[in-house]
Amino acid sequence: MKTAVLRSAHGPVRNPTNRWAFLKQSGLMGMAAALATPAFTFAAEPHRPPNIVIILGDDMGYADMGSFGSEIKTPNLDSLAKDGVRFTNFYTNPTSSPTRSVLLTGVDSHLNGLGNMDEWAAPNQWGEEGYEGYLNNSVVTLPQLLKDAGYHTYMVGKWHLGKAPNQIPAARGFERDFSLLDGAGSYFDMTNFTAASPRSVYTENGRYLARLPKGYFATKTYTDKMIEFIGANHGDGKPFFAYVAHQAPHDPYQLPRSWRNRHVGEYDKGWDAVRQARLKKQVELGITSSDTQLADRMWFVPDPIVLAPVARAVLGKKMELYAGMMENLDYHVGRLINYLKKIGEYENTIFIVFGDNGAEGTDLFQMLAGAPGTRNYLFAANKWAQTDINAWGDPGSYVAYGPMWAQVSMTPFSQYKGWVGEGGIRNALIVSGPIVKRPKGSINNGLMHVADLMPTLLEVAGTTYPKAYKGTEVPPLIGKSWGPMLAGQADSPRTNQDYMAWEIFGNHAVRQGDWKIRWEYESIGKGKWELFNLAADPAEKKDLAVERPDKLGEMIAVWDTYAKANNVILPNRSMFETLKDQLPPRVPVDPGYPPANYKQQFVPPKDMMANPK
Amino acid sequence: MKNDESPLRPVHWFWFVVATMLSFSAFLLPSEALAQVPARFYWKNLSNSNGVPVIVQSVSGNTNPFDHSAIVTPGANFDVTLALVGYARTFSLHNRATMFAILAPMGRISGDVTDAGRTTKQSAAGFGDPMFEFDINLHGPRAQKLLPDAIRYQPGFSIDLLGDLALPIGHYDSKQSLNLGQNRWYGRIGAPIVWQLGPWVPGRRTTLEFLPTVWLFAENNDFVGKTLKSDPLFQLDGHFTRDLTENFWAAFDTVWFAGGKATIDGVAGENRNNLGLGLTAGYKINDNLGLTFGYKSTINDSAPDALRLNQFSFSLVYGWNSVVEGMNRLKHE
Repeated sequence: MKTAVLRSAHGPVRNPTNRWAFLKQSGLMGMAAALATPAFTFAAEPHRPPNIVIILGDDMGYADMGSFGSEIKTPNLDSLAKDGVRFTNFYTNPTSSPTRSVLLTGVDSHLNGLGNMDEWAAPNQWGEEGYEGYLNNSVVTLPQLLKDAGYHTYMVGKWHLGKAPNQIPAARGFERDFSLLDGAGSYFDMTNFTAASPRSVYTENGRYLARLPKGYFATKTYTDKMIEFIGANHGDGKPFFAYVAHQAPHDPYQLPRSWRNRHVGEYDKGWDAVRQARLKKQVELGITSSDTQLADRMWFVPDPIVLAPVARAVLGKKMELYAGMMENLDYHVGRLINYLKKIGEYENTIFIVFGDNGAEGTDLFQMLAGAPGTRNYLFAANKWAQTDINAWGDPGSYVAYGPMWAQVSMTPFSQYKGWVGEGGIRNALIVSGPIVKRPKGSINNGLMHVADLMPTLLEVAGTTYPKAYKGTEVPPLIGKSWGPMLAGQADSPRTNQDYMAWEIFGNHAVRQGDWKIRWEYESIGKGKWELFNLAADPAEKKDLAVERPDKLGEMIAVWDTYAKANNVILPNRSMFETLKDQLPPRVPVDPGYPPANYKQQFVPPKDMMANPK
Repeated sequence: MKNDESPLRPVHWFWFVVATMLSFSAFLLPSEALAQVPARFYWKNLSNSNGVPVIVQSVSGNTNPFDHSAIVTPGANFDVTLALVGYARTFSLHNRATMFAILAPMGRISGDVTDAGRTTKQSAAGFGDPMFEFDINLHGPRAQKLLPDAIRYQPGFSIDLLGDLALPIGHYDSKQSLNLGQNRWYGRIGAPIVWQLGPWVPGRRTTLEFLPTVWLFAENNDFVGKTLKSDPLFQLDGHFTRDLTENFWAAFDTVWFAGGKATIDGVAGENRNNLGLGLTAGYKINDNLGLTFGYKSTINDSAPDALRLNQFSFSLVYGWNSVVEGMNRLKHE
């Protein structure tokens, strides 16, 4: 195996001679080895393991489902929560393709090829193993292992893990697929975002599509295809693994007209009021404790109270569309649920629902097409210029809701996608089905990670993670099985000594027990380590780095361990590298300041009023 | 996000939307010839907006286009140059979109008039009868009292109640039959209908519009020394309109008249049953100014007593709303 060379934009990271050997030295390999032999066996039907359906929402926020506090109507997703368990401490990676890579391999993204997103790989990461920008050949995938265990393996939706013939879903274990290989694109056609890559690329069952089916709308078509896949083999006695990787609700918010006007005017009250309402509901539902505080509004986001009604209406319209995206997604999830009930498979199906990262607060379209005179701008003028407010949602329109609503989606947390604040990495998780023995509708606060899916689902399938696959040694898993926890035998798959760590675009963080450190680019971050106690401060409002240097030091050591073990090369370029110069200077967010903007008209006592003499 | 792009960047749409709402093509007031209001006349806009139209028409035919009763003078030929200046204001009445307008016609008319077998050349110039119009929406979007209402406006299927009343104060010479003023009270009631077909997006808006109305006329007791009575005249306007670009639109227009039999000193004429067709093109010059150009003509009009009119029209409409004007001034500071 090639020796990994660890580099850092912020300083050298020591280079182990062999990172897997390092894992063994650090004791982490023992954990992975233990996982390879299931200590816990799921109680499934004796004759057939349960079906598995993973429903992945793209950029779906922590608080966007009704069962997690949203006013958005998601009855079908909520029905899964009612039948299953909600998890409040579930983590993904901060962005899309890294999360998907970890989901499908159980291996850290810096080892499996998605050390950085393909679109933003830094020069010092180019050519490095683990940073290929696609699922590399060192890993074996969940569908490959499930297929070997006797499962049908189906995928629909967004892949984002490589486009070459040896990288597409059919090459990585999916028996049937209908997949968008890109990270995003139009919901109605094959239009993509840049002049260099103007067309989205799709595959169906391993063949690249020359065109899309008639009447294509992403969320609907994906659901149609998955129902078709399941139906085609239903009755042959084999269970199925269905990876339903919806594009929704990722921007651009495009959806049929009938779904666009379900919340007209509802968001004119502004993001602060909606965040407060969601927090209140989260407390009522038991998602969070009554003493939870909202994260500060981002300092560059205005208090909606000071905005003109028309400004709130225009910005609220974006959230109306987002809500429509969520409700349309929920509707199609409901179609799949109903189909499984109809064919008698629902009771023997595990549903796992979550979003791939925090809600999107960055203006992706502006980043791609924002500079007049560029070819991307010209491309956008030709393909993405349906900018009238009444065209929002149409093909050719690009609407994203911005940081203010992203914070709403991530209530009560700070930050959003691409960042390692809780708002970038913590997501809502629902698990239901025959493996869940906890009380229906209950809530669990155990520490969980997307990497846990591989060991968990291999156990469900009655198989194990191999040391080598088809003659090639495979990297160790970093996750922990949920088996005992789902069975009600433990409250968390992790102890207070286990850690989880994240890195993307140079932003990085570690959580161990209740403690978390994070390093982020300025001005959203501080450009230095911050320390938080998440049990007391889930919104990460109080940086304890100065107050608790001892704990900070401990946590930095944990980060170093993680980085060395997992081939982390901090990038020498980042999409956020000039953010400090682009954002207004960071100032505290003090509600009611300045008073000049809030003090109401003085009305003198009536009996003291007089006309001039 | 760049610091010159606040999270409110999308708010720039509001300017565009407001501009669309104030495009003022809807302020085109009734054209006299063929007595047909232009397409898109009954689209709604922001309350407390104002519009001043200037309409110039060139009309030829066998009826006096200043006379809404469309009395045909067989064998006659009139040439008319007509200008209309008006003022319209929108407001909210019980949360319904409402408009009040006044229109002052002026111009010159000349032509051959045949009376008792004798043809004479007559002409007239000056002001016609001013007309007041009141229109209130009965079914459809509520009044656009605030800018958020304006940005959400889509007509869907809307029905208004319309009332017009002309004051008989225009220039009138009882010695000749050809006049600008009509020397009698008249007006109409109607129900403007706008039916949105498809999206309400500039560049893609399509509508089907109807205006069924009934004109009612008082007697003219001094019509060249005679008494002129007119039966109620039914009029049905129809328009199919379509945006061609964000600022350019076109309409196919139809108008149908029925009834309206004129009786002069007890001698009854014929009921009207006439159909006219036309085309209109509209262009929004800027947020305040719009123009239209149109042509209309009656069809199946070869019979001597058939209504015959050909009309070219040109209109320029200036519109404004004080709030929007103020914001524009701030924007340019």
